Amino acid sequence: MSVAAYRSLAPYAFRQWRRLLTIGVLTLLSSLAVALQPWPMKVLVDYALSGIPVPDAVGGALARFGIEVGPVVLIVGAGAASLGIFALNSLLDVGLTWSWAVAGQRMVRELAGDVFGRLQRRSFRYHQQQPVGDSLDRLTSDTWCVYQMTDGLLISPAQQLIMLGALGVVAWQLNAELAVYSLLTAPLMAWATVKFGNPLKRRARLAREARARLVSFVHQTLSSIPVVQAFATEHRNWDRFHALAADSVAVSQRGALVTSHYTLVTGLIAVSGTALIVYVGGRQVLAGALTIGGFMVFLAYLRTLQGAAEGLIKLYGALKPVEASIDRVLEVLRSGEDEVVERTGAIARVASAAGPRGAIRFEQVTFGYVPGRPAVESVTFEVRPGETVALVGATGAGKSTLASLVARFYDPWSGRITLDGHDLRDVRLAELRAQIALVFQESFLLPLSVAENIAYGRPEATREEVVAVARAANADEFIRRLPEGYDTVLGERGATLSGGERQRIAIARAMLKDAAVLILDEPTSALDGWSEAPILEAVEVLRAGRTTLIIAHRHSTVRQADRVLVLEQGRVVEEGTPAQLLARGGTYARSMGLQESRSQLPAEVAA
Amino acid sequence: MLPGTGADVAGGATGPSDLGAVGTPGIAGPTGMGVDVWWMRLGRYGLGQWRSLLLILGCIVLTVAMDVLRPWPLKLIIDNVLEGEALPAPAGWLESLPGGASRPGLLAWLTLGTIVLFLVGWLGKMVQQYLQVGAGARMVYALSADVFRHLQRMSLRFHGRQPTGDLVKRVTSDTGCVRELVVEAGLPLVTSLVTLASMLGVMWNLDAALAMIALGVAPLLGVCIWFFAGPMNGRSYAYYACQGVAMARAEQTLTALPLVRAFAQEDREQRRLDGAWRDSDSAYLRLTSSQLQFKVGTGTVSALGTAAVLAFGGFRVLSGDLTVGGLVVVLSYVASLYAPLETLAYLSTNLASAAAGAKRVFEVFDRAPEVTERPGARVWAGAARHGMGAGHIRFEGVTFGYEPGRPVLRDLDLEGRPGETIALVGASGAGKSTVLALIPRLYDPWEGHIALDGVDLRELTLASLRRQISTVLQDPFLLPLSVAENIAYARPAASRDEVVRAAVAAQADEFIRQLPQGYDTVIGERGATLSGGQRQRLAIARALLKDAPVLILDEPTSALDGETESVLLEGMYRLMEGRTTILIAHRWSTVRRATRVCVLEGGRICEGGTHDELLARSGVYRRLSALQCEGGAT
Repeated sequence: MSVAAYRSLAPYAFRQWRRLLTIGVLTLLSSLAVALQPWPMKVLVDYALSGIPVPDAVGGALARFGIEVGPVVLIVGAGAASLGIFALNSLLDVGLTWSWAVAGQRMVRELAGDVFGRLQRRSFRYHQQQPVGDSLDRLTSDTWCVYQMTDGLLISPAQQLIMLGALGVVAWQLNAELAVYSLLTAPLMAWATVKFGNPLKRRARLAREARARLVSFVHQTLSSIPVVQAFATEHRNWDRFHALAADSVAVSQRGALVTSHYTLVTGLIAVSGTALIVYVGGRQVLAGALTIGGFMVFLAYLRTLQGAAEGLIKLYGALKPVEASIDRVLEVLRSGEDEVVERTGAIARVASAAGPRGAIRFEQVTFGYVPGRPAVESVTFEVRPGETVALVGATGAGKSTLASLVARFYDPWSGRITLDGHDLRDVRLAELRAQIALVFQESFLLPLSVAENIAYGRPEATREEVVAVARAANADEFIRRLPEGYDTVLGERGATLSGGERQRIAIARAMLKDAAVLILDEPTSALDGWSEAPILEAVEVLRAGRTTLIIAHRHSTVRQADRVLVLEQGRVVEEGTPAQLLARGGTYARSMGLQESRSQLPAEVAA
Repeated sequence: MLPGTGADVAGGATGPSDLGAVGTPGIAGPTGMGVDVWWMRLGRYGLGQWRSLLLILGCIVLTVAMDVLRPWPLKLIIDNVLEGEALPAPAGWLESLPGGASRPGLLAWLTLGTIVLFLVGWLGKMVQQYLQVGAGARMVYALSADVFRHLQRMSLRFHGRQPTGDLVKRVTSDTGCVRELVVEAGLPLVTSLVTLASMLGVMWNLDAALAMIALGVAPLLGVCIWFFAGPMNGRSYAYYACQGVAMARAEQTLTALPLVRAFAQEDREQRRLDGAWRDSDSAYLRLTSSQLQFKVGTGTVSALGTAAVLAFGGFRVLSGDLTVGGLVVVLSYVASLYAPLETLAYLSTNLASAAAGAKRVFEVFDRAPEVTERPGARVWAGAARHGMGAGHIRFEGVTFGYEPGRPVLRDLDLEGRPGETIALVGASGAGKSTVLALIPRLYDPWEGHIALDGVDLRELTLASLRRQISTVLQDPFLLPLSVAENIAYARPAASRDEVVRAAVAAQADEFIRQLPQGYDTVIGERGATLSGGQRQRLAIARALLKDAPVLILDEPTSALDGETESVLLEGMYRLMEGRTTILIAHRWSTVRRATRVCVLEGGRICEGGTHDELLARSGVYRRLSALQCEGGAT
């Protein structure tokens, strides 16, 4: 794991510096409280029980308050002191836990926010290769890595180091020889950690991957339920689930074995260290160089010191599993090669009030999704403001690619595309997309109310505006029949409306956006002939006064275009008005001829 | 449209998700199983691992014994080495060890003893850990496998309304509740009880009065648990629910990304998600705060106990009833005594989170699938084997709808004889897709019945029924598997030859061979790297390979240009040959090929007959045809 990876996440942690500082101060106080903890015991054993006289300073101070030092006072005092120390400790603990919960939560949120932002901006190609379930996993669980990382690199080490320092000083004061012996184990522990660290990381990664395969499989199955049920593959899926689960169990069990080797070595080192101190300390008591109470205080310190040292060294291992998550998060945060980036100083407004808008020019545009395999090659054409141009051609000819280039979902490899004379790359993305209304094959309705869906591009639109566009899109009537009319919340993926209804809402949505350029990517292709007519009517309204690029294959749609571009294997092979092309008898005429032989069912009378 | 969720769900209610807003707690299952018995239900999955659990219990006994022995070397050092008292009788054997009679020698032996105790304890813990990880994971997967199987059986209506992300979370992470219950709560409970019992026993022998004091704190702790656990439970559920909402929201955005981008709504989506996250953050802090209250409450009780033992034990030593080493042992027990008691206290945290998970798991588990297999259902090997023409479909008086009181189909009769092609035409919402969905029994009719080869569908096992039916839907639903695996989806055992033959017949072979790895090319999620026509042809190949006597087909209209479409139709017609086909027709050419055309209106077949018969008669069909002539004249 490179330092760079950690460094790129560090800002998220340091933005919470105020809280981190609070945590530091509280930690210092709490390590002092911990240092006090074994003292009541010493008072009890040495002064109250073994009869060693109380040091003069303490005895004198107590006498001044009229307290006579005797075993009873000392015993009660020791009990009370242990209570007081506890109260102090738990107060500090509450403060620490709370500050860290708040700080940790905030840094995770900020990171997740950025991850989500990046996910939204990554190219469609990235998302096609990345299952949604996997992206969600990165977003919701892997982002906790910044919390774990800060804990592992900053909070815990600081806490342990402060504890080590504070207690080390006190222990040195008490008994230098024992303090030195107790530090002997630290280098051994560090060795063990380094030796066992790497297998731990690999195990963690394997376990994660095994689990991700399982989650992905579940997601994939549950999102294809219609096929699963129609093909009765439930049993097979279940078997596959079991196989994946068994795999995951085996991986995590092997991980547990590696972990316990690690605990054996570190535990053995720790316990040998304690044994050493017990032996040396015991000899000192026997020699009269140490009281039994002092011996016990020292043993208590040793436990805390060892705990701190162990905690410190274990962090090295604890961070290993996090690194996998960090990798996965950074993979998203890193920008992709095929990604569209906004140029600094890009134009914020394209539209000038005067003159017609929406002129599109393609100049020698070449672009593809896979290096070396262009999907469109040297395409040059122009669409004048207000003109409707139909793109036709076989599947895979590059029609949709041209449409996505206009919306700048991708940047061309070479050549350029302009909107009203501006290279698309010089325009702010938000501004560019404000100029373009898109209607897709799929309607993409969100689980919001109908009105919110229609106003998706302009949330501030009034209800009147929403109703007006819905009416123009032939959607008003069926919307009013919904249980709560415009306030009806749509089910996931708008599943409770018919395809035609969903598409009409999508058209209303595009209308409300009121953009200069309209791109229609086969808006009726997913619909049967019966539902097509109301849509086409709506499209007519939507087209009026806009520069329109329509991808179509039905002659009924194409013949309304002012001009037709016929694409074949990424190149424009024919161009002209529909009538010209038919007359010419080329590719277009051939494909339309095919269509006429299997004419469409007419649409139901638009109600 | 996919049956049941699409075009023909006439006026299907557009209410919120089937399980209510994810944040609404307290939906008990319709079976009447309250949440109070959730732990018994989970327990069954835990007991499935009884062998491992027994071994784990053995390990627990071993490690507890080591824990109890741990302070004894120190006691002997203090009392018998440092204070110089005589060794007690049970430890007398130590003096017989080489050098054991001298005080430094005894010190060395006792020091060595601490190391031995550690090693034995570690061995027990290691075995326990290994077994626990395995047993825990296995019980979780046993539960998730059952939930997964259950979800696969739930109706499309259920899936249409339930965000997939939320269901995935229920299957893959909420099912961890069984591990939380058994491994993270149950086993610590046992460990704690065994530890408590043995330590109290030892203390009782050392000093009964002191043991009574240590014990006296337990009821106080009980009150603390009772007082603080309630809010913690509720808040933990609320937190999980908030996370679910946020996850579902993120998923919605990511699935509708083209839209979000085209409308430049990235910032708004981000704010929307931020809103969900803020809710989840405050839920998290509320949970943390109740956890802290709990911790401080129980900690105070425990500190009171320690102080009392310290003071009282001091007097006992002073009066000579206890040695200093004995007091050290009792204090070290008191410290380790409160640890298991606190474990017991935190048990309810684990239980609360297990309960929250269990609630979400059983919420879906307790929804009965709408279609269930009758006990004793028959396996249908196909009519041919029963000596009849294969693939005879008959609807008799079928009434069905998705919402109570709002039937989509009313008293529908329909018959498809072997080899016939029945074309369903009609407006959106007329019930065409619903008819298709009823044939593979994705739903059961309210009234009337549907028979395959004369046998009521409900008398057949679902698997054998669905083996008789090939389906081609408008959405091809390809899986992220290789092309060959997709085609062989119904028959994974099919040879490569068979797969290729099906692909050739479906006109798909050519483009498949052009893919980077041919038949072994893995298709991107939702088959996104293929065009609509190519995906449809794969779906047709898939249905061809299944080779079932009945074909239900929602004629694809999607995303196809002229040339591809003719190729696709050729594949489709080939698929229809020799099968009973019920199809939703979108093209006159298909309608003309049908043996019979059924016009659906208002959930009934209002007209039926061949294309020509229907044209000859006046009716909806003729009206439609007249319009076609007008509109189609180019």
